[in-house]
Amino acid sequence: MIQFESVSLGYGDRVVVSDVNIEVPDGKTMVILGDSGSGKSTLLKGVLGILQPFTGKIMVDGEDVGKLNEGELLLYRQRIGMVFQEGALFDSLTVGENVGFWLWEHTDWSDDKIEERVRTLLRFVNLEQVIDQSPDALSGGMKRRVAIARAMAPQDPKVMLYDEPTTGLDPFTSRSICDLVRQVQSEFSVMSLVVTHDLHDAFRVGDLFAFIHDAKVILTGDRKTIEQSTDPFVRTFLST
Amino acid sequence: MDYLRKKMLELLQSMGDFALMVAKSFRYMATHFRVGDTLIQMDRVGVGSIPIVFLASIFAGLDMALQFEVVMAPYGARALLGKVVTTSIIRDMGPVLASLVMSARVTAGISSELGMMTSTQQIDALRVMGIDPLDRLVAPRIFAGIVMMPILSISGDFLALLAGLGISMAVGHVPAPLFWSGVRDALTAQNLTDAFLKPLFFGFILTSIGCHYGMKSASGAFGVGRSTTKAVVSAAIWILVANFLLSKLLINIWGLSG
Repeated sequence: MIQFESVSLGYGDRVVVSDVNIEVPDGKTMVILGDSGSGKSTLLKGVLGILQPFTGKIMVDGEDVGKLNEGELLLYRQRIGMVFQEGALFDSLTVGENVGFWLWEHTDWSDDKIEERVRTLLRFVNLEQVIDQSPDALSGGMKRRVAIARAMAPQDPKVMLYDEPTTGLDPFTSRSICDLVRQVQSEFSVMSLVVTHDLHDAFRVGDLFAFIHDAKVILTGDRKTIEQSTDPFVRTFLST
Repeated sequence: MDYLRKKMLELLQSMGDFALMVAKSFRYMATHFRVGDTLIQMDRVGVGSIPIVFLASIFAGLDMALQFEVVMAPYGARALLGKVVTTSIIRDMGPVLASLVMSARVTAGISSELGMMTSTQQIDALRVMGIDPLDRLVAPRIFAGIVMMPILSISGDFLALLAGLGISMAVGHVPAPLFWSGVRDALTAQNLTDAFLKPLFFGFILTSIGCHYGMKSASGAFGVGRSTTKAVVSAAIWILVANFLLSKLLINIWGLSG
């Protein structure tokens, strides 16, 4: 379970989100919704331990992320798969090297075994054919798929985090990425936290939803709760 | 006053971050040395810089010999050309010039590369994968700078001396054996220490400053451009400052003999 307990987060001395209380149960996907700059991605950085909460605590699988020291954080992050906004693929490596990167760094597997795992992951995202290509040669949607494959390289990531996985993609590609996010969640029973400002994509991938506005979480719940909300910001969001 | 205070705090913070980055990188070099990554960086930092450093060294040698010949000829001191050219090249001109040329290439390259990686979240991706960027990216670059800079600088010094010999023979009509005898006189322990120690420090300065600004780069083309400019300017200034301090230190240690 991922739990935010009265969490305030920000950069320097600037508070971006405050008093956040949300819970993501095991095997569920929560979508964080909100307008640009509202602090959605900041929450992900909190889960990753890149930002330390000013107040409150972030618990992941019973572990208080804010209390982990540097070495413990490096180990903790190995259990988390993160898909960055535009993939954040290493442009000095090929697609296959990107996907196998974690395995080369953290296991003593043979090259053959790693290649087998890389091919399996790339098959899962339907991109085995680009294994030797440079990330520069890929389209936006393909980069996101490779990023998802790379995030799953550890045998059993407990948590998957997606930062705007469909931003800048055409509707067809967005849909295929959403389907992939769902597929990852259903096949591997991971907890997922998805940040997006696209409501259609949110409803495609999410079980639970949280709305952020003016640095606060103003509403959490399932799709029905969201659709029945009378909050003016949520109503505006739903109508656009 | 507030502005000055803010700038002062920023400077102190930056110096603290730099010290921490360097300390951690040296720890990684000692405890978790990455042979493959380091060899790649040695190739990029060192082998890739050979043409530009050698070219600069040759022209520096030509120019120094020419200038000294003009000054010394009226005093009939051409016989000392070999010693004077060698001393000035291996103690100062060679290491400083090679490092400044390298800073334009290596510091800018490192800063912009790491800056783009920061900007496109590749550095965050490394952290998320449980890999410290200082281990994977910074330590190999600093180590490569420290090892490759002395090799490049000393090789450049040798080429500069050959160029100096050429000018001394062609313009000053100094016989080659006389020039080489001056070179031999100048190859004292003190001068050789300068020739080796200075580029070692300069190699550290130009790579560590490139890494520091790259890792702290703001997002976007403007942010990366700005951090690259700052990195190159800082590296050049610190090389000159370090050169003076090292010269003073080594003179204090060895005395004033040449």
